[in-house]
Order: sequence, then structure tokens, then C-alpha cells
Amino acid sequence: MKRTVKYLCSVGLLIFGTIVLSSFFAGNRNGRPFKFPYHQQGLTERQAAAHLLSRFTYGATPGEIDEVVKSGLENWFNQQLDASLPDDSLNQQLAKFDALKLSNTQVVNEYPKNFQVLRMAINAGVVNKDSVKADQKAYRDVLQNYMQQNGMKPEQELFRQFINQKILRATYTNNQLQEVMTSFWFNHFNVSITKNDCAQFIPAYERDVIRPNALGKFNDILLATAKSPAMLYYLDNFTSSAANNDVPPNKGLLRSQLMQNRPDQNADTARRVALMNKLKKAKNLQGLNENYAREVMELHTLGVDGGYTQQDVTQAARVLTGWTIYPIGQYGKLGKDVMAKIGDDRLENQGFVHDSDFLFNANRHDKSEKVVLGKHFGPDGGYQEGVQLLSMLAHNPATAKFISRKIAVRFVSDNPPQSLLNKMTKTFLAKDGDIKQVLITMVSAPEFWSASSVREKTKSPFELAIGSVRSLHASIEQPYQLYNWINKMGERVYYYQAPTGFPDKGQYWINTGALLNRMNFGLALASGRITGVKIDLAALNNHHEPESAQAALIAYSKLIMPERKLDETIKRLTPLLTDPNLAQKVDEASSNKLYAKVNQPASMSMTALDKAIDDNKKGKRSNNVMAMQGTEGSNSMLGQVVGIIIGSPEYQRR
Amino acid sequence: MVSRRGFLKSGGLALLGVGLMGGIPGFLAEAAASEKIISPYKKHKTLICIFQRGAMDGLMAVTPFTDDYLKAARPTLFMSAAQSGNNSPLIDLDGRFGLHPSMKVFEPLFREKRLGIVHGIGSPNNTRSHFDAQDYMESGTPFNKGTASGWLNRAVGLLGHDALTPFTAVSMTSAMPRSFYGDNPSVSISNLQDFAIQMRGNPMGANMAAKSFEDLYDQTSSNLLKQTGKESFEAVKMLQKTNIKNYTPANNAVYPNSALGNSLKQIAQLVKMDVGLEVAFAESNGWDTHFNQGAGTGIFANNVTDLSNSITALWADLGAYQDDVTVMTMTEFGRTVHQNGTGGTDHGRASCNFILGNGINGGLVHGNVQPMTTENLEDGRDLAVSTDFRSVFSEVADKHLNINNDHVLFPDWKGDRIGVMRA
Repeated sequence: MKRTVKYLCSVGLLIFGTIVLSSFFAGNRNGRPFKFPYHQQGLTERQAAAHLLSRFTYGATPGEIDEVVKSGLENWFNQQLDASLPDDSLNQQLAKFDALKLSNTQVVNEYPKNFQVLRMAINAGVVNKDSVKADQKAYRDVLQNYMQQNGMKPEQELFRQFINQKILRATYTNNQLQEVMTSFWFNHFNVSITKNDCAQFIPAYERDVIRPNALGKFNDILLATAKSPAMLYYLDNFTSSAANNDVPPNKGLLRSQLMQNRPDQNADTARRVALMNKLKKAKNLQGLNENYAREVMELHTLGVDGGYTQQDVTQAARVLTGWTIYPIGQYGKLGKDVMAKIGDDRLENQGFVHDSDFLFNANRHDKSEKVVLGKHFGPDGGYQEGVQLLSMLAHNPATAKFISRKIAVRFVSDNPPQSLLNKMTKTFLAKDGDIKQVLITMVSAPEFWSASSVREKTKSPFELAIGSVRSLHASIEQPYQLYNWINKMGERVYYYQAPTGFPDKGQYWINTGALLNRMNFGLALASGRITGVKIDLAALNNHHEPESAQAALIAYSKLIMPERKLDETIKRLTPLLTDPNLAQKVDEASSNKLYAKVNQPASMSMTALDKAIDDNKKGKRSNNVMAMQGTEGSNSMLGQVVGIIIGSPEYQRR
Repeated sequence: MVSRRGFLKSGGLALLGVGLMGGIPGFLAEAAASEKIISPYKKHKTLICIFQRGAMDGLMAVTPFTDDYLKAARPTLFMSAAQSGNNSPLIDLDGRFGLHPSMKVFEPLFREKRLGIVHGIGSPNNTRSHFDAQDYMESGTPFNKGTASGWLNRAVGLLGHDALTPFTAVSMTSAMPRSFYGDNPSVSISNLQDFAIQMRGNPMGANMAAKSFEDLYDQTSSNLLKQTGKESFEAVKMLQKTNIKNYTPANNAVYPNSALGNSLKQIAQLVKMDVGLEVAFAESNGWDTHFNQGAGTGIFANNVTDLSNSITALWADLGAYQDDVTVMTMTEFGRTVHQNGTGGTDHGRASCNFILGNGINGGLVHGNVQPMTTENLEDGRDLAVSTDFRSVFSEVADKHLNINNDHVLFPDWKGDRIGVMRA
């Protein structure tokens, strides 16, 4: 009876889906329709919808496959490319995070770094320079007071809000693809909170530089990152200047001469002032720094085999000299005053460019001629030299190949087929690096839907955590708790130290410690043991009580992993739930002390599982609803079953 | 431009090649194959690296106390080897260098020639940024930011056999350190007790879940998940053989109750469990002493107390395993010769490091520290780097772990070794 109903339902859905599909027929962008070739690859529409959701969202929510089928796969994708769905309830949740809207200047003023606070406090006479750290506690209290009185908050609070925001946005935004692409580009143009200098600019970096450009043209996002304080600090370009022959040779030497010429040592004041000036000049002209120029070619555009030489790196670095940061906040007040005094107009006349937090400092720019990859820049090309350089890199065929491959690795498989890469590269070059078009080409290709790509990607810890929360319709009250788990599973988002970003391959994520943590995460989440993350397993199944342990296993497996082949998972788990010898097996296991955690309180109340085992011992069949759902959510057998599903190998794949 | 990451690929292929390709003598292929199935419980050499984050003042840890320039540059920080008043003097190591008195537990090890010191060690890249200098030291490529892997991860790839157990390379840190980034298997874990399936207050539930997981991972069609799942449960079983929580160190060793002490204690446990640990990593924090560094007592003295007591406890605890273990410290740079206006020191260039083991050319302060004159100092202010850190790291890796492919370990480096290990 039940089976018949289900059959009818799916036939009905199929018919309905077909009608909807034929009425819209296909996606349409810039007048050119596209259609997803999944039938040819042997996928049903629902399977295709599941695949689509597994790649372009942080995981399907319950019922989402139905919605996608209803609106049509191509239409759904188009909508995601537009990224303009309303996000009212998310925005409401984010409203309480007051740091998220701040400009870099406001961040610098309101969330200063510890050493900046200290210096301000010393200048304000609140802390005595000599007594610093003599009494740690008192000293900290004084500083804390000083911060409060001046409306300043600890930097850590900024990062906490920023990270909470990311967890909530990834979980709840309707514009899932935009957020997935935001993570993709952030990782591609990686900057890291571990680098103190750039850390406080990272929230604005993601908000103003990455997210708005995530589905735009490659050249735009490249230029925006190049001019952002976060990147300028992270890869040191802010300090890079023309190697100038007038520069005093050795600033260290100057400094030590200064040290020996302190006023209290009756030093010659005039000599001291002269030394100071020399030192200042030396500080301002520190010379060429190649870090950004190298990584922009190796990691951001051409790729390591992109056909450039060390000579090209040095020359590109010279092109980019003078790309630096406009003095920011109270701390940069001195520099800002100087700039303001000169005035933007006069600065512009001298070749300076002031664009928000970015400054092209013409005085630091290397004005002579340079040659990068055979193209000549300058002499005296100023700011535009750098713009042209980046544009040249963005349009290079090696870049088209490199970026296409990286996108395909993200969305198709760790080893995407060459035929697919060729199509994407062609589109990248023909469409001026339009990321939407590259994505359309990818999804319109049969390779995207082939058996060698479906379920082939391994979820990163972030994807696993957010995906589970979406699968279970959990409500998040304390996002940071999830972040802690994500760290534990091996992905400390925003703290990856190297400019390469996290490697995007299963092998990187799956190691023994991380895998055990994934299993433990599943168990903790499903049994309600993650503080501030609430789940309602009964509601998930529309309050239908499963009739048996096995029925629960089947029902919840299907809810959490829709459109997957679950026979094997269910087959493996069923005996464990229904096995009359379960108790014996568990006893065996625990007597071997294989997995037992021994710190169990003696007075522990009997859990549902214990009860089930106990019943088993007494010869009762215990796989009933009572045993499944238990009395307290935290220890219920159902929670355990769901936890095992989340920690299962099948759920680690997408 | 030759691929900087190519070495990773070639390293991996070389291993595979032994088993797969023709041209290789049969006995070699056999040896290689048997290497993969030998018991993980076979004894291994272990290299333990300790990163002192924040840049240790090498001139205070091991002071060239006869240097008058240094004495003048550090009016309140300079310590003497001569007894004066109630202050403990430096421990005179060789008539020129004095060990900070808070590291007195190191003295016997130094006299027994198990402990060696390299002074004037550092990076050829003169950056004074903590981030950049640590990054360069840990990637092992002081001029290349984009190197994807860390030097210790590459070391794992050069061990001459596949990672035999889940514990071949272990970092006792909550996040993977830069030194461990890369393709070779390694784990970071801050507490060994986490190596279990956990359900708080429900050990039976945990047992059942563990069995279920083991079963599920055994059947998955994903090779990666299947293999790693298997290794994970092996790891769990290996650790469960020992009572990790109630561990009692041998030889009455007492570890400081500090982050470093706890890390080293757990590393000692792994070594003594014979679970195949070959590369271990731990961290020590708080070396960025800009303010009130202190001399005989204070922040710096506390730091070196913790460092030396932790290492000495580890050494005592290892007992019969001492022959298999070498411990090496590292720090991103040293600190200014002159003390600053707040009783501390600022970012400098060269520092010193400690190497402990029975294969060390110990009882010596290695390196080439010049008398401190303005001309001899780097940029006129800092102790010059006279020994490239890669020279020391590569020699220790070679002599202790039998890794002698510098081309892979430190791709851009062509330098000489200085004999910190016994020939």
C-alpha cells in the first residue's frame, strides 16, 4: 500500500516536473539559452537537481530538491547566477553584529590592535611607559578601562562577529552560489588573520572586494584585490618602492648611531636631527618587494607553469611600486593630515591616485621603463602601468587555463577532464573572463554530469558542518561553536597562513585525526551536544514516528542524503540496530577497551541505548520507537543513528 | 620557471616508481615492498622540533659575556658570568658563552656533550616580520612565499618509505602548523585523548557508534575514505592500549604544567608506545619580549625555565628511547643588540638554537659569532646571521632521519654544513 502511494507520488512529480520544464524549456542568459545534459549521462531530473545542489550550495535543505525541480534546473541556476534573491531573515539575524558594516577607517579606530592601544594609552598618559607589565593584572585593567572609555573594543571581537557572519550567511542565504563563489575567491586570493598587519582589514576585504565581484569579471576582482589594504599588507606590496640611489645606505646603521647619540648623552642636537631626517628618508624608501608581484603571477593569474621568468617577476614588482595604502584611522592621522594639507587635486596633478583606502604614491613609483612578458610599461606611465599589467595578466591564455581548472576542481572533481577544461578556457577567453559564462559552460557540459563527477568531491570541514546544519534544519544561536568544530576538523577558515589558500582536494581534508573528528562532529550535532545549535529530529520527519529502528534508519538516511544510493549504508547499519546480539558485541567491544571512554560517572542514568541493550539481554526485542527516541534528546538512539549518518563516508562526499 | 611545487610530485612518484617500474633491480623493489608491510611497532628514529614563536633573544639565552659592546648596549639586561650579589650568574660554557641561569638543567646535558648550541643562526631573508620570518623558516624557502608545503612535511616524504602508521608525523597543535603543510600524511592534534569516538557520558553508545563507523568506512567505494577510515580505527586501537590519561612519566620526570610541557609529555608517550612516530612538532609561545624582558628573573627567565625544564623532562622520561630521539628548537629571528626604551628588545636577526640527542656533536657552541662592533652587526644593529638555518636543519634531518635530499628538503639552498652532528 505504502509503496503504491510513493510510486504514484513520484510519477506525479515526474509529470509535473516535465510540464514545468517544457514551459520554461531552458535557462536563458544574454539571449543564449542553455540546457543541462544530465539525461544523456543517465541521471533523472531529481538526481540532477541533487547534484546541482551539492555543487552550488552548501548542501540541500530538506525539500530543496523538490523546489529546484519545480522551478526547473536551468531557471534555478540562472537565479543563483543573478544572486539577487531577498535575504530578509538572514539580514535580520546579522543586524546584531555592529562591526560588519564598518569601514576600514572605523575598524582601525574602534578595534585597534593591542600595541596601538598601548601606545595611545602611553601618549594619553594613562599608562606609565616604565611600569608597563610590572603588574600584569592592574596594567590590563587600566588598558581595558581606557578602551571602554574611548569606545574601543578588542580586535578579537571583530573577528568573532565576522566569523559568526560567515557561518550564518553560508547556512541561510538564498543566494547560495554567490556565497560558495565568495569562499572560492577568498581562498584563491587568500589573505590570513594570522598575519597581524592585514588582519583587521579582512572583514571589509570579503565584504567589499570579494563578494561583490564573486560572479563578475576576473579582471575586476583581480584589480580590486590588488588595491585592497588586506592584500597590500598580506603580500607586502604596500612597502614596495623604487630602488633609489639617493637613499642612505643603511638605516640600521643610522638607527644605532642615533641610539648612541641620545640627548641625555649630550649629543650634538643638530647632528641628531640630521640623522633623524636621513633615517626617515631611509624608512620611506625601503626598496623593491617582489612578494606580491610573484604571487599575483604564480597563484592569482598565470599559474606556476604560466611561462614567466624571475626577470618578469622583478619587472612586474617595479611596475607595481607605489601601490600602497592611504593613511587609515587615528593611527594614520599624521600621514592623513599631510595628505589632506596637500589636497587630492594637487596630489592628482603629481600623479597620485587616491581611491578609498588605496593610494598610488607617485613618489615611490619606479618611473623607468619595464618589460613584463614582452610588453613594455612606462617610462612615466604612473598608476596606469599597474592597471595595464593586471589586465594583461587577467587576459593571458595561461590565466584562462589556470582559473578554469581551479573552478572545475572546485565544482566537478579533483581531476577534471581535459575536454571540459578546454571548453571553459575557450569561454573565459571569448567572454572577457566573465565568471558566470565560464560556470554556464561548465554546467552545460556533459562532463559535469558524468558518473566520474557525481559524488566525487569530498566535503571540506566547513562544507560538512554547514551542510549538516542545512540537512537537519538546525537553528544556530551560537555560530562560533560550529566554527570551533570546523577548526577541529582541520579547516581554520580565515587563518590559513600561506597565500596558496587551502588545497582543494579530498586527500588534504581526510586524515586520521580529521576523520575521527568528523564522526564525533556528527554524533555531537545530532545528539544536541553542540551548544547553541538546536535540532528537532522529530520535526524533520514531520513528526512521523518511525515504526522501528530500521524504519528510522531508512527514513532519516533518505531525508539527509536524498537521491543517493543508500542500500549499502542501510544494509550495514541495520544489523547493528536489530541484532539481538548487539549487547554482547558492545560488551565485547568495551571489554577490549577498544573505544571506551572510561570516565563515565557511576550514577549515570540509563540511556535509551543502555535500555535497549538491557532489554536485549532479557530477550526482548528492543528496536521499538521508545528505544529509538528515548526520553532526553541528547542520548536518544535516534540522535545516534542520525549522528552516524552524518559521520558516514557517504555523507562526506558531495 | 621551474615549478617550485614540482618536487612534491616528483617525490611522490619516486616512491611509486620503485614498486611499479621495470628497470629497478628486483631486490630493491622487494626491499621497498617489504618496507611497507613491516610492523608499525618497529623502532624508528624520531625528530622532535620545537618552534619558539615570537623570536627568542638568543643573546640573553646564550650570552657572549666577554663582549663589552653587548654589555654597553644592554645596561639593565646584560648578565655576567661572575657572581655578584644575590643574582645568579650566567653558566660559563666555554669561557666566551654563558647559559642563562634559568636553564641550569641544560648544563649537565651540555657537559655530557648531548646538547649542542648553534649561535648566530637565522634566515638569509632579513625580514623582521614575525609572520614572514616564521613562514619562510617553516616552508624552508626564505624568499618564496608561495611554497605550498612545509619542510617537515617534505621530510616525511623523504623518509624512504610510506607513512607506516597514522602517527608518522604528529603536530601537538590545534591547527596544522606551516611546517606540516603538504601532501604527505600528517596529523595535528592538541590532545591525544581526542583520538576516540566520543559520546560524553555514554561509553556504550560510543562503542556502538565506533563499530558502525568502522563498518561503514570499510564498505565505501571511495578509496580515500576507506583507507583513512581503516587507519583511523587502527590509530584509536593503538592508543587505547595505553592509559593516556593517567600516564606516569618514567625516571621521576616532572613536566612543567605548561602548553609545551603537555605537548612534549604526549610526544614522549607516542615515542614510547612505538606507534611509528618519526616527525613531531610542538610550540612554545611568548618570546616577543619588547617590554620588561627581565634578566635573571622576569618574563624571559620564566620562558627559558619552561623551555629547558620541558625538554629535560622529556629527555629523562624517554629513558631507553634516548638513542632514537633528537630534539631541535627553532625561532624566527633574534632580537636587537641594544635594549629598547621599555626594558625589552626589538626584532633583530640572528638567534641561537638548541639540539639535544646522543648523535649530537654536543658540548659546543657552534657557529660564527663575531665580536660585536657596529661594522660586524647586520644593518649596524643586529647580531648577523652567520649560519643559515637550513644548514643546521638539513644536517640534523640527514644524520638523524637519514634524509639526505637537500634538493627536495630545501630547494633553493646550496650551502655547507657546520658539523652539529657527529660524523
